[in-house]
Amino acid sequence: MSEKPIPRAALNTPQDELSPAESVKRKGFISWLVVGWVAFASATGTFLAMIVRFLFPNVLFEPPQSFKIGFPDDFQIGVVDERFKALRGIWVIRDSEGIYVLSTVCTHLGCTPNWLRTEGKFKCPCHGSGFRKSGINFEGPAPRPLERYRIVLAENGQIIVDKSIKFQQEKGQWSHPEAFLKV
Amino acid sequence: MAEKKPKSRLTAISESPVWKSIFRTGIPVTRRQRMMGILNNVFLHLHPVRLPKHAVKLKYTWCMGGLSFFLFLVLTISGILLMFYYRPTVEYAYTDIMDLSEQVPLGIMRELHRWGAHAMVIAVWLHMFRVFMTGSYKPPREFNWVVGVLLMFLTLFLSFTGYLLPWDQLAIWAITVGSNMARATPFLGHEGPGASLLAIGDINLVTMSSDVRFALLGGRFVGEGALLRFYVLHCIGLPFIIMIFMAVHFWRVRKDGGISGPV
Amino acid sequence: MLDWLKSVVDFISTPSISLTLILLMFPFVFPPTAWFETWHRRLGLHNLWTNRGGLVMFSVITLIFVWGFTDVNFSKILGKPDNVPIMILIYSVFFFLWLAMKSAYENDAHIAAGEPVQEYYPPEDKVLVWPDLVYIELIALILMMVFLLVWSIGLPAPLEEPANPSLSPNPAKAPWYFLGLQEMLVYFDPWLAGVVFPSLIIVGLMAIPYLDSDRKGSGYYSFAGRRTAVFVFLFGWLVLWVFLIVVGTFFRGPNWNFFGPFEEWSVTKVVPLININLSEYVWVKLLRVGLPANPLVRESVGIIMLVLYFGLTPVMLARGKLRPLLDKLGSIRYSLIIFLALAMVLLPIKMYLRWTLNLHYIISIPEAFFNI
Repeated sequence: MSEKPIPRAALNTPQDELSPAESVKRKGFISWLVVGWVAFASATGTFLAMIVRFLFPNVLFEPPQSFKIGFPDDFQIGVVDERFKALRGIWVIRDSEGIYVLSTVCTHLGCTPNWLRTEGKFKCPCHGSGFRKSGINFEGPAPRPLERYRIVLAENGQIIVDKSIKFQQEKGQWSHPEAFLKV
Repeated sequence: MAEKKPKSRLTAISESPVWKSIFRTGIPVTRRQRMMGILNNVFLHLHPVRLPKHAVKLKYTWCMGGLSFFLFLVLTISGILLMFYYRPTVEYAYTDIMDLSEQVPLGIMRELHRWGAHAMVIAVWLHMFRVFMTGSYKPPREFNWVVGVLLMFLTLFLSFTGYLLPWDQLAIWAITVGSNMARATPFLGHEGPGASLLAIGDINLVTMSSDVRFALLGGRFVGEGALLRFYVLHCIGLPFIIMIFMAVHFWRVRKDGGISGPV
Repeated sequence: MLDWLKSVVDFISTPSISLTLILLMFPFVFPPTAWFETWHRRLGLHNLWTNRGGLVMFSVITLIFVWGFTDVNFSKILGKPDNVPIMILIYSVFFFLWLAMKSAYENDAHIAAGEPVQEYYPPEDKVLVWPDLVYIELIALILMMVFLLVWSIGLPAPLEEPANPSLSPNPAKAPWYFLGLQEMLVYFDPWLAGVVFPSLIIVGLMAIPYLDSDRKGSGYYSFAGRRTAVFVFLFGWLVLWVFLIVVGTFFRGPNWNFFGPFEEWSVTKVVPLININLSEYVWVKLLRVGLPANPLVRESVGIIMLVLYFGLTPVMLARGKLRPLLDKLGSIRYSLIIFLALAMVLLPIKMYLRWTLNLHYIISIPEAFFNI
């Protein structure tokens, strides 16, 4: 095309430079300039912070995090109970010592793994992570075990699961008394 | 006296005062009229008046930049039309999409929008490939290449936000996987390296409901809030940003010396 | 006979085999140095970028697709409406690659003969935008619109079951243009594959004009004068992006297992994937002492290896083969280029470590979500 970029030299002609008198005037002005810019910068910063804060609402309309799932006797030893998977996003597993609750969120990228009974493992369909019945990861890209949720008994003997409190194995939290319900 | 040729209807229209008030140069027959036609039209003025010959050779340009822009316009128009029928809520989103193909006459608008979006992604990649292979990113066009990379990234993000809107299995899981990567952003995601360092005493500052993924989804998982946020980003937020960068991109093509070519 | 051929194709398609073949072929097809160039000519690979070569590539791709549509399993994958863009992508990438390389080789011949390149016209030889360009644009737009309309009428957009947060489809895939990233996620943690690497891709792309200081070859197709730059770009784009998209689309089935194109996508296919961390290899298998409690001590081997990889390699290369590059670019640009290149090569390296040693992580500190 016929257009040419403007030569650099043309941008800085001698007329653009300030005369000595003008730069002296500017010198006296400089402290006001600093004040002005600091005020402008902090106002802009505050406004940006407000925008960021605006993205986080104070109230969330999401299902309750704490709920009852029935009596301990409702769960058979050695079975991965999938009844609460769809609605609550948990697996309830009872072994010979007690009951624990696993999150159905894969620790890799948050897909929902499937319980493969014949192979005795949780297998995530998205990237092939595999977890043992305990929740420990052993294959695929998952970086850490599935999370366990708080599990306690209510006064009437029902089990309460609280999803707002989670226990992570790699932080040594599975030994916490509320991560495991002794039966 | 020489006999005057009778004027055709077409000439009569093009010489009427109304026509002339809109198109000042008349039908571009002479060289001068053709140049003025480009200069006087706000849309055609995107182009210079004259070009070196290689700039109109398809073998050189592939026309991919132009097609990307055209696809963007197709997507804008079909997208606006789709908005008439679509409500971004968990309750209605899926059924509204179903209705689009069954209850609305000529129900291919969604197809046009979806396939057009795929085509735009490919066109943008090929445009980038052409620009690389002809070395057109070299000075003085370095900065415009940078703007182009941002435009490509915005194109992908636009397509990604649109992916959630049908609210089917494909949509929710693609976005679940995609947005969970944000969960692992260093420092800003609650499962990212360094996030646990940002804490006051025992209280973590970066948690599931205060990290960058939450800002994107408007919730702790892909649900109502995510659908609305993606809808707004897809229809208003990202098009707004991409149009600003597109304006810069086109402007800089002209200001950096027009289309690249051998010296 | 055909079944035998199908099992051969299935075997070749395995990422470990296909990537190896591509990596071996790539420098001969796009020779980055003069040595590869001589072999490129000797093997006759420059004929790819002629009319005959283009026809052969076009026929091979079409033949594979036609063959695929006659197969029960492959046709299921190819026939998915959302995979149509991938087929268009494959065709258009090969076509435009061919077109660009053909033009580049023609121009290289012109340059070698001391003639102006084919894009060159005398400066006074200009055309008017109206009508020469405006009409080309109009025709291109109309053709594109016709293409879109035919596509839209012929192929309904997919709509699956309503969203169900508790049921992941098997396999669950990202949008096709992100399948390269999803493939990376098999080998790296999300913070790398999903955040750091994409950021590096964007930054690296944006940095190209500032890192490539060579002013030659601007405004026309050429290869000989800038072979290394073209090689690196094509390696990143074709192998680490387009190829991984194709793998992710066509070859990743239930449970994210690998399936050959002619294989049935069976949910019950079991692939043992027991992955072992480097620290386990060193402390448990080699030294037989058990894992140290302090994560930094435990992962020291991996940390040292990565520090050496990113720290020592540039120095070694600068002392050896890449000395001229360092002299030409200066230390800052040189370090940036080498860093980006090393980060890029880290992906295939990790892939091979996974395939050969079942290596899970080089550094594994899950306590801080820091796994590499």
